Amino acid sequence: MSGWLVIGLMWAVTYAARLLGLSLGGLNLPPFWLAFLRFVPVSVFAALIVPDVLGSPEWAQRLVGAAVGGALLWRTRNLAAGIVGGFAAYWAARMLGV
Amino acid sequence: MTGQRFDWGAFGRGFRVMVPLWAGVVPFAVAYAVTARAGGLSVWETCLMSVTVFAGASQFAAAGQFVGGGVPGVAAVALVGTTFVLNARHVLYGLSLSRQVPLSRWQRAVAAQFLTDEAYGMVLVAGPRDPGGLSVGFLLGAELSLFAAWNAATLLGALAGAVLPDPDALGVGVIFPLAFLGLLVPLLVGRVAVLVAVVSGLGAWALGRVLPGGLVVLLVGVGGALLGALISTRRAEGRA
Repeated sequence: MSGWLVIGLMWAVTYAARLLGLSLGGLNLPPFWLAFLRFVPVSVFAALIVPDVLGSPEWAQRLVGAAVGGALLWRTRNLAAGIVGGFAAYWAARMLGV
Repeated sequence: MTGQRFDWGAFGRGFRVMVPLWAGVVPFAVAYAVTARAGGLSVWETCLMSVTVFAGASQFAAAGQFVGGGVPGVAAVALVGTTFVLNARHVLYGLSLSRQVPLSRWQRAVAAQFLTDEAYGMVLVAGPRDPGGLSVGFLLGAELSLFAAWNAATLLGALAGAVLPDPDALGVGVIFPLAFLGLLVPLLVGRVAVLVAVVSGLGAWALGRVLPGGLVVLLVGVGGALLGALISTRRAEGRA
């Protein structure tokens, strides 16, 4: 299949998913499903973080970075501090051969 | 947003709030472009995919399968299927966002094109703290910030990929989990949220060994949120 066609079909299925979700905002949801939506970000973010850290070949260094970054975020609530501090800790662990 | 006028101030603030994430986005877009070019896609086709599909994981999965600028028949169908499965999680993001940002039909059509994990996360967490609240201007600013960086870096990689450093050597892969950690930590209020995060994280790690990443996020996103909703509504009923 040509590059153009493959790219077009990939676009179509991706756009459809994005538009479908955004179009469902007017639904009147019972309390259970409102609570469900409140927990979606918590569960999605955790699902994006943990495999990226523990499932990586350099998981030990990333774990050090995530632990330091997480602690900084907890204390400071500052995204930049968490990213920079976590990245620095990751690099320190990498250089020290953790 | 007040009335019918588009709030460019909120757009600018949404745009800037994503800038720290560019450091993670740029090397990945470059790596995607280099892989796509190696598979025989032209510079134009490589950029076209970043402009249209605009979904990192699927683009990566696809780039590795191009041979001589195309994908053989059955593999192409499988690739489109994988793309659908990888990106079905966006239904959840859209559903969650659209309850908090009022969007007209046109705004929905535009916002849908540029939705990503990162924009969803940042808008949901930083949007309500914006002076204008979580607005369509802030949402589009954040979405287009990532779109601009992703596409500029795709072009860079497609043109000059071979001479750029390998993202693995720079260690930038750790920036995404750190950024999402930054979004997750403020949401960890109360035991139920912590429990949902722990169960979801470990569940995703276990499932990630056998399933593709986007499908894992979708399944775990639904499962974890169901768990949180079950516990919190049971508690509310217990008190009533």
